[in-house]
Amino acid sequence: MGEAVSAVKVVDVHKIYHLKGEEVHALQGINLEIPHGEYLSVMGPSGSGKTTLFNMIGGIDRPTKGDIFIDGVDLSKIPSRAMAWLRCQKIGYIFQTFNLIPVLTARENVALPMTFLGVPKAERQQRAAELLTIVGLGDRLDHRPTELSGGQQQRVAIARALANNPAIILADEPTGNLDLNTGFAIVQLLYRLKAERGTTIICATHDLKMIDISDRVVFLRDGTVENIEKRRGLVLSAEEFEE
Amino acid sequence: MSPKKKEPKTEPKPQNTADVKIGSIKFPISEAFRFSLESIRKRFTRALITAFSVLLGIAFMVAIMTMGIILPLIDQTPPPQYQTWMAIIALLVCGVGIVNSMLMSVTERYKEIGTIKCLGATDTNVLQIFLIEALLLGVLGGVIGACAGWGATTVIYMINQPQYVDRILNTTNFVTYFTYIGEGIGIASLLSVAAAAYPAVYAARLNPAEALRYEV
Repeated sequence: MGEAVSAVKVVDVHKIYHLKGEEVHALQGINLEIPHGEYLSVMGPSGSGKTTLFNMIGGIDRPTKGDIFIDGVDLSKIPSRAMAWLRCQKIGYIFQTFNLIPVLTARENVALPMTFLGVPKAERQQRAAELLTIVGLGDRLDHRPTELSGGQQQRVAIARALANNPAIILADEPTGNLDLNTGFAIVQLLYRLKAERGTTIICATHDLKMIDISDRVVFLRDGTVENIEKRRGLVLSAEEFEE
Repeated sequence: MSPKKKEPKTEPKPQNTADVKIGSIKFPISEAFRFSLESIRKRFTRALITAFSVLLGIAFMVAIMTMGIILPLIDQTPPPQYQTWMAIIALLVCGVGIVNSMLMSVTERYKEIGTIKCLGATDTNVLQIFLIEALLLGVLGGVIGACAGWGATTVIYMINQPQYVDRILNTTNFVTYFTYIGEGIGIASLLSVAAAAYPAVYAARLNPAEALRYEV
């Protein structure tokens, strides 16, 4: 924090949806500041606005009121083309349902975000292979998503999220569709990325394993921040995680 | 033919943020082409069915046009006017078929569209991908359909009226034949792209947040 620009700054963000003529206040004045390199967990019951908040931070939806700054850039002041660039370059997405492109192989999926930045084909193929090796799928480069298990698909998704070296990784319940052990391996992987690369990770979760390794936990309720808790004292050491 | 995407009216003006450099998405048309080609290659059966509807319509049209040349050569009256109209109606039917199958393809790929938009695809990129896909299918259906329509008509008349084979295959006719085949391919491509315009614009305008929420 301090003088340095925060990775993410959310200032009094409101979001109102119109569903069948009724107004739904999904977010009601959220304020958050997330420094670079932090691992932030967002908790809250379903309907509390986690995904809406993620969509705002990820630049795939615009707030009704309020401002969001990513790396100092005010999202409300840039046109949609620049927004697409920001999504591509600054943010890596990990979804609960993996959302890999079914017609592309693991390697092609990871290389896809690089095509939007004009990275030459040979380079992106090589980088995709490197990233897949980092997440432990070096031997699955040419498999399609349907030929991979849930945990492996999520690993591909993590490699894809890392493709353009984003400053921020947004993970919306990344372990929600995985069994305990697989989920644990994904948690370890995210923790390692945060430790090794200093990537800011923002993670919506119900998973207590993920809470334990986060720097802070934000509790959302009915579209407002109910509580922010520091977990520094409780962080498990990396060695314990390797077990 | 290619519809321009209208910028939303609420679009904020670009602003110079002093210390932060904002780049732009570079997704050249060749990459869009490659992406479309992969999509077709990996969903080949569906693509074939779409192309087949173009193929039939164009084959019928080229057959009628070819008959217009061949019948006078073998001392018969050329096909009556209403047959041209039938060909046009056949093309319209196949156009509606393409709209339908492209819309289905968009619905099927809601999540995919949402995802690539998250990963950095702009509206224009999505539009390009779908239009190129339609163009490729149109060309595929057009080439096969036009050749098949011309080939079938010529062969049938050569078998039924063997005494006229020389006249039918007279080299001077081939200029017209090729023109017809070319026209067939052109019309097939135009038709396919025009029919895909609405589904493509629809796909391009999808809000990524909503597209991702959609459960198939």
